[in-house]
Amino acid sequence: MTRNSLSVRQRNTGLIATAAAAVIFITPFLYIFFMAMKTKKEAALFLFSWPREWHFWSNLTEVIMARNYMLLLAYMNSTLITVGAVTLLILFGAMVGYILQRRPSGWNRLIYAGVLVGLMVPPAVVPTIWVLQGLHLFKTLQGMVLIQVAYGLAFSVLLYRSFIATIPRDLDEAAIIDGAKPLQIFVKVILPLLRPVTVTLIVVQSIAIFNDFTNPLYYLPGKENVTVQLTLFNFQSQFQSQFNLLFMNILLVTIPPLIVFVFFNRQIVAGMTAGAVKG
Amino acid sequence: MRHYPSAALLAAFALSAGFAHAETVLSVTTDGNAETVAAMEALTAAYTAAHPDITFEIENRPGGADGDNLVKTRLATGEAGDILQYNSGSLFQALKPVDTLVDLSDIQGSVIDSFKSVVTAPDGTIRGVPFGPAMGGGIYYNKKIYAELGLSVPKTWAEFMANNERIKAAGKVAVAQTYGDTWSSQLFVLADFYNVQAAVPTFAADYTANKAKYATTPAAMAGFQHLEDVYKAGYLNEDFGVAKFDDGVRMVATGEAAHYPMLTFALGNIKQNFPENLEDVGFFAQPGDDPARNGLTVWMPAGLYIPAASTHVAEAKDFLAFVASVEGCNIMIGANGATGPYLIKGCELPKDVPGAVADMMPYFQADGMTAPALEFLSPIKGPALEQITVEVGSGIRPAAEAAALYDQDVEKQAKQLGLPNW
Repeated sequence: MTRNSLSVRQRNTGLIATAAAAVIFITPFLYIFFMAMKTKKEAALFLFSWPREWHFWSNLTEVIMARNYMLLLAYMNSTLITVGAVTLLILFGAMVGYILQRRPSGWNRLIYAGVLVGLMVPPAVVPTIWVLQGLHLFKTLQGMVLIQVAYGLAFSVLLYRSFIATIPRDLDEAAIIDGAKPLQIFVKVILPLLRPVTVTLIVVQSIAIFNDFTNPLYYLPGKENVTVQLTLFNFQSQFQSQFNLLFMNILLVTIPPLIVFVFFNRQIVAGMTAGAVKG
Repeated sequence: MRHYPSAALLAAFALSAGFAHAETVLSVTTDGNAETVAAMEALTAAYTAAHPDITFEIENRPGGADGDNLVKTRLATGEAGDILQYNSGSLFQALKPVDTLVDLSDIQGSVIDSFKSVVTAPDGTIRGVPFGPAMGGGIYYNKKIYAELGLSVPKTWAEFMANNERIKAAGKVAVAQTYGDTWSSQLFVLADFYNVQAAVPTFAADYTANKAKYATTPAAMAGFQHLEDVYKAGYLNEDFGVAKFDDGVRMVATGEAAHYPMLTFALGNIKQNFPENLEDVGFFAQPGDDPARNGLTVWMPAGLYIPAASTHVAEAKDFLAFVASVEGCNIMIGANGATGPYLIKGCELPKDVPGAVADMMPYFQADGMTAPALEFLSPIKGPALEQITVEVGSGIRPAAEAAALYDQDVEKQAKQLGLPNW
């Protein structure tokens, strides 16, 4: 027996686990996929079945062309919001986390309490809109980016702060002795080391922001400001829904986060294990 | 930002140079129903064709509780755009129309009186125009099953139950119920209101004034009793607890079930998903005890309103006047076909309406054969009615107890509205 081969029991356990995971994670996706291919009439039956007729292309074009190519505009808006918000979240989250962790002062406790409050207290919609109106940021993508940053920052700061605690201070001190200024220490020494937690944040926050429904609904009205989750309402209403197109839309909306996840997934795992082995 | 001063300059220049044709864009918010969107797009296209300097931006909002919150939030922050489509009746009252909507009393020339009353603010001004057809609440039936078993349209509840018995004996589902969509469970209670009013003409007023109760008015309790009866007799489809509105529509359209209690807007769903079955479906008002008084409970259509914060009130008003005219009404019929009567004087339905609509029209043509649903006569509608009707319709709670529970539920809302005598 070579070192790498599995025993029968190990192999069987692995197979069962894989099969169970496949059923749990792939079945819903298959359901969405099949529904997206059906005719309106067949989709209204809600059966988990092989489509009788395949309408991939006609459903796809109908969804993309609906309401004057609204979906494409929505993709663009959602991508801009997601990229903008995640960039700011990482930048500010890392900075605040760094300072909080490295510079003990009387204010830290207060600031940390503020961060926790930001995590726990639910935001109120109407006053937030008043603030945005006052700043002339309501109904703009920039305003939406700032909202997402405000809602996500507490979580980012927490993650970064605890991660930076695991980076030895010796590194900072070595850099200081070499003549680095504070900003240089942060940018050249600390920031590159934050890669694992940054990748985790990118995945978690970009999926959350891309898939956000309620915040754009309240804070970003206007036909030009539509985001991907809001396009679902083109095909869904209380009394009459076009389920084949709805599921095709869901399918299209699900793909970008899936790509992000598949792309970064390897790095999340790599980052975690790298930290673990170094000790 | 850098464009801003130059744009202002340009605008100032344009004004001083006397260009009167400023382009106006009216923003419209509607729900996402396919029929709403089709009608609104047809209306705005026709209006822009006649007034090239006015264009529209149509935005869709979700329906249900999400939509209610959204509309209230936007009105509270002054961001509701220029034209708003929203329910009439008690939901309209919940918007605080006196503060948030523009007075439209002067463009009501062609609007039928019964609609005006459901968009009248507490100060007596009319703040909306009708958008879409009125709907009837009653029972859809499958004509093929009726023909096969030699049944006739029932005029009383006893006849209805006799029909059900024969349908069940023939091995078919007599009544489709879809408690997976809880709102659909209320129909037997809400659509019974014509019969309640026929028996107790003052019920709506007494009920609002806390003098009449569901539990102590036998005619009003009948709706709950009906729900219990069809369940106990075993007339329901097996999956009534989880089936959805779409399932109910399919069952009655394709003959899987003989009856489905529902509002007439379900016809749009049949037309979309089962066009070949459209003529297999008929409609009758929910029967009561007296065959001589067999009438229909009517739901008023949604209204179009102008938020008080709109910056284009004059233009928006002109458009709404167009919607509330015979021409606008004909455009809506052209966009969606006729699924019910429009509440505009002189607006006739085409001759080739679907069978179920033709079944509904006689109720509207005779005097006193229709009554508005209770939610248009009284501001009180208990928030938990759909949960209670699901319980009764599933045999969990007896009708009498449910009626008493609903009276308690209603009390909370009446107190919240600050009605006298509660």
